[in-house]
Amino acid sequence: MDKYTDYSELLNDSMKYARKLKKNPVTSKDGSETVRIAVLGSYSIQFFVMVLRYLLYLEDVQTDIYEGEYNGINMNVFDQDSPFYQFRPEIVIILPYHSDIVIKPSLFEGENEIQKKVESFVATYDQIWEKLNAHLTCHVLQANFVIPPIKKLGCLESNSIYSDTHFLKRINLEFEKRRPENVTIIDMEELASNVGKYQWFNYSSYFLSKSGFDIKFIGLAVREFVTPILALRGKIRKCLVLDLDNTLWGGVVSEEGCQGITIDQNSAEGEAYRAFQQYILDLKSRGVILAVCSKNEEKIAKEPFEKNENMLIKLSDVSCFIANWDDKVTNVNRIAEKLNIGVDSLVFVDDNPVERQLIKDFLPSVLVVDLPIDVAGYCLALEREKAFDWIQITPEDLSRSSSYRENVLRDKLRLSFDSYEEYLKNLEMTGKVSVLTKEYVGRFVQLINKSNQFNLRTKRYCEADVMNMMGNDDYCLLYVQLKDKYTDYGLISCVILKKQEDVCFIDTWLMSCRVLKRDVEKMVCGKIAEQAARWGLKYVLGEYVPSKKNGMVKELFPNLGFEKMPVSEENPQGIERYLLNLDSKPEWNYSIKLS
Amino acid sequence: MITMEALQEVFRDIFDDEELIIHEETNSDDIEDWDSLVHIQLLVTIEKRFGIKFTTQEVAHLQNVGEMLQVINSKIVSSDV
Repeated sequence: MDKYTDYSELLNDSMKYARKLKKNPVTSKDGSETVRIAVLGSYSIQFFVMVLRYLLYLEDVQTDIYEGEYNGINMNVFDQDSPFYQFRPEIVIILPYHSDIVIKPSLFEGENEIQKKVESFVATYDQIWEKLNAHLTCHVLQANFVIPPIKKLGCLESNSIYSDTHFLKRINLEFEKRRPENVTIIDMEELASNVGKYQWFNYSSYFLSKSGFDIKFIGLAVREFVTPILALRGKIRKCLVLDLDNTLWGGVVSEEGCQGITIDQNSAEGEAYRAFQQYILDLKSRGVILAVCSKNEEKIAKEPFEKNENMLIKLSDVSCFIANWDDKVTNVNRIAEKLNIGVDSLVFVDDNPVERQLIKDFLPSVLVVDLPIDVAGYCLALEREKAFDWIQITPEDLSRSSSYRENVLRDKLRLSFDSYEEYLKNLEMTGKVSVLTKEYVGRFVQLINKSNQFNLRTKRYCEADVMNMMGNDDYCLLYVQLKDKYTDYGLISCVILKKQEDVCFIDTWLMSCRVLKRDVEKMVCGKIAEQAARWGLKYVLGEYVPSKKNGMVKELFPNLGFEKMPVSEENPQGIERYLLNLDSKPEWNYSIKLS
Repeated sequence: MITMEALQEVFRDIFDDEELIIHEETNSDDIEDWDSLVHIQLLVTIEKRFGIKFTTQEVAHLQNVGEMLQVINSKIVSSDV
């Protein structure tokens, strides 16, 4: 949190970084791509751009940023020949200001007239988003309007449909309703309200240098854009790791007993812990996975969940429950391993500052929430970390928790079989490989941006990219669904094939880690070969681009019968290429029934 | 009382130059990196470090470091009273 609120340090560090870059311009390191971002605004955006570049650099994201002129939204968007379009931004940030809205309702104006004025203003943004879509393949981060704290009608501003406040609220609402799929609204009005409009608006700096808001909030404001940019690149967190004593309930369960802990409605303290549990359940209901990491005997740690009626969180809500006497660093690593997710997708919550420091020191990629001493502040402390800002939520997210629990059932099943093949047969899997349609694009893109381990080339695409490819006959986009007798996994694998002269090139092939070791890749490979044949092509070309996280697919192509191709000498990224000759009529065996 | 030395520390920090020397007449013509952006950063850092707030009128009329120091100290003195 400090790195966003210590604005003086942040400005100085950002400026030093900018100067360093001027002296030594950076070329992309170890194959990581540079993201092209354009920032267009109605007010001065130089500090915004400077801090954005620095904060993304801290997250290991290299950027090339196009800085629009003062009041440069329309002049860049509506001029096809502008350097803005030549720059080909992948992300466009738009920062408007309330003074952009010139025509406002007059006193006593009626609903019809007001509706026309709302329509007329929002139509200019429909056009802006349309123009951007027509000429670019990009994702737009559109700030909404911060409503100023000057109320000319006094208390009647909130009681009259013709007030300026009402008008701006309606415009913000229309933005939410009408945004195209590749536009995400960034709620600056919410941020300004949270910090306080009287603090947010600095009229002196507006008149002196056309600043949109007090520089104190530059870190918090830029952060609103950093989190979605990271989310678009798959850098999101998925799992909340929770301590028990004095975190989920008051007191120590091994001392007070499972009925003696404070979690009842009869005390302020109990209510506070219940509120925290409810907040956690709300997060779980929209796809966040819960894990427990407690220094306790397992039986004792589980008792409150099983026997205390005041507990809101149930054992069935927890996907991974670890309670033992090992150190928490080891346990947090275990949790990541069991859930098959990266340690960097965990959020650690513990009332004990010593445990928190341990995780910070030994597992720096885990987000550690600094809970306040007062339990009443727990919800807000977690909330303000913005730990789970995803770019979308899909039905697959909602069933994720139970799917991890069903893994336990599968693990038990496996122990009862002599051979692994028999176990797979007994799972009664059915799979379906289909050409991508519009209704699955959301989940398809989500998987493309989230998958790191079973991901051959780690190419990220946004929705606009995928829609473009769907309309292009040289591409074939396939999605794979899988079910077994316990669970319907939904969409778990994405493939993008490209017809390139006489080969079928596998541009993208990735799979969710929840369905590894099921031979799904064999089934998918069979379908890839079928598509290549349909295109009349003799060869399938696969490429492996090594990354920090995808070591598991290094041998995928050889294992599927592809031949390794010789590499050119200039190959800094260590890319490996593999060819499959369809004339040899390759076949793959798997225990999945194709539907 | 804020001394020229204390103010010089701020300048050295912002311009990332431990050997920078400023005096009464120094202004943006004298330091290469001192553009409008750095100017805002300077004022913000001074305000935070010395616990003062420049007014719009004051900022608009600052000609050089000497005047800056004068304005800063006028605010420190009045708060002692």
